[in-house]
Amino acid sequence: MAASRRVVIAGVATRWGTELARTLARDPGVEEIIGIDSTRPAADLGRTEFLEADIRNPVISRILPGLEPDVVVHCGILWYPDEDRPSRALHDINVIGTLQLLAACEKTTSLKALVGRGSAAIYGSAPGAPCFFTEDMSRQYPLRTRFQRDIGELEGYFENFARRRPEVTCCMLRFQVEIGPGVDDPFTRYLGLPVVPTQLGFDPRLQLLHPADATGALAAATLNPVRGPVNVSPDGAISLSRLLRLIGKPAVGLPPIVAGQAFKRIGRQLAAADMYRDAELLLRYGRGCDNRRLREEVGYELAFDAEGAVRDFAARAAGAQRLFPSPHPGSPVRVRS
Amino acid sequence: MSAARDRATGEAVDGLAEATLEWAEVVQRSTERVLRRLAGEYHEDEWGFDEEFAEAVFPVFEFLYRVWWRVEAVGVANLPAHGRALMVGNHAGSILPFDAVMIGTAVQKEHPLPRWVKAMVLNWAFDLPFVSYVMRRIGGIPANPANLTRLLEQDQPVMVFPEGAKGFGKPFSERYRLQRFGRGGFVEVALETGAPIVPVAVVGSEEIYPKLGESPLLARAIGAPYVPVTPTFPWLGPLGLVPLPSRWRIEFLEPIDLSGYGPGSSADRSLVFDISEQVRERIQDALYKGLVERGPAFL
Repeated sequence: MAASRRVVIAGVATRWGTELARTLARDPGVEEIIGIDSTRPAADLGRTEFLEADIRNPVISRILPGLEPDVVVHCGILWYPDEDRPSRALHDINVIGTLQLLAACEKTTSLKALVGRGSAAIYGSAPGAPCFFTEDMSRQYPLRTRFQRDIGELEGYFENFARRRPEVTCCMLRFQVEIGPGVDDPFTRYLGLPVVPTQLGFDPRLQLLHPADATGALAAATLNPVRGPVNVSPDGAISLSRLLRLIGKPAVGLPPIVAGQAFKRIGRQLAAADMYRDAELLLRYGRGCDNRRLREEVGYELAFDAEGAVRDFAARAAGAQRLFPSPHPGSPVRVRS
Repeated sequence: MSAARDRATGEAVDGLAEATLEWAEVVQRSTERVLRRLAGEYHEDEWGFDEEFAEAVFPVFEFLYRVWWRVEAVGVANLPAHGRALMVGNHAGSILPFDAVMIGTAVQKEHPLPRWVKAMVLNWAFDLPFVSYVMRRIGGIPANPANLTRLLEQDQPVMVFPEGAKGFGKPFSERYRLQRFGRGGFVEVALETGAPIVPVAVVGSEEIYPKLGESPLLARAIGAPYVPVTPTFPWLGPLGLVPLPSRWRIEFLEPIDLSGYGPGSSADRSLVFDISEQVRERIQDALYKGLVERGPAFL
């Protein structure tokens, strides 16, 4: 599928958008990359053209069709607040922003594919859940947290858009939480605490995604989009207790009576906003996703499994310089014809 | 005379030295293992099963198997040595699922090619602190069709208890009377994956915690489906969790091959119910025969 001549990245100032722009810039098959965001990205984007615009503003409907994009990648779905994006604005940015962007996409006749960077949080975390969610299981559990409901709403918009514009390949990626060097989010900040609080008597199975794989999968889906949702998760799973041992962190188990309050306070300290509730559930019951669709249909070969991502994080966190860099330099992208 | 005594003393000293050395080695080895585990250097499979942990607690199960319940296992070789297999058993115990543990132990001890068996566990158990943790490490997995399908596709042996909580929590007066077999979901998965069904009849598990009544108040307080009242539980507190030493007999029946039906046949409800009922009847028959074979419950 050679639909990726001109790519528009919405939310290019986010780490995900910036990394995607850089990866695509190395691909000679991508003719032009245009990044849209309300703030200028801190990093140098190379040959990516930057356009300062807020996707929440209806003006986007006038700008986007003129860019004649083949693919629009929505990287502006935020998981946690940033310095210039307070937690109050998250819902606005995610829901209203996506609505405006989709409205603009409807007017863009050149559009062949739409890719969204969503979250596996839509599956939730439950005690009796399938150990490996497949893409059709997103409606099994009620959406319990604010972030989950936002993500659920967004996926609904994407589905509606896919129904109204059947000629556009509409792909929603469901990412697991990331871990790795260069990632600064509430979860890595949580792991950076001197003593890591866990929930007494619970040891969740986690799947943490290496940032190289996160970018790689996003780029692969941009170049070879498939219809419907796709899980982006590593092979295997790792339990929280083993993760903490591998990165050499002492843990303290909090009894259930205090765990809720404690996580709320820690969440505020880590600038996680409402995400503490998602984290509380995730760190009690865990979550696993099936990645067969990503490997077989999108054709992306993951470089790290769940254990490998943690080991890489541990090696970098300890300040160790690796003699030989990863056998997969940059972001491995392999697209099947 | 004194030479003989000297020799005897010498041998004793040698023996002592040898034993000390052996002990030192054991201590060193286990210290090394503990340190290695503390550094996170051990293996877990994608389901969270930790073989080293399972091996470490295995002696406890072995003690229960050999000494406490004097388990007699019959026909263990009916479990295929390779590839997928679905073991279907009768469920009892009302407090802790020792029947699953003993089936797993029987496979480990008596099967010519022992394998670790995964068990489908009631969802509710994964909401309990520590229980969820231990359960997962020794091969317990939340019971749902998605997990069962994936496990069988990975060619693993899995056990299910289709009676579920109805069988597990039935009163002592109804012992060895099989309850309804759910909706036959296990048959659907077996048909889809082509896994042979190995019915397993467990005799002895009903007497370990004879359930005389229930405490709905306590159940509501801790959010459990039910809280059993036995002669010792909850009266004696944690001591009430010590199971009674009944005599057990576990019989693995001839496998039922379903590969001839093909994967599409799982949509055929009447076929699913037929097979489910067939499995149920075979287990029930084996239970009645097994009760006679075993003789008195505790001697």
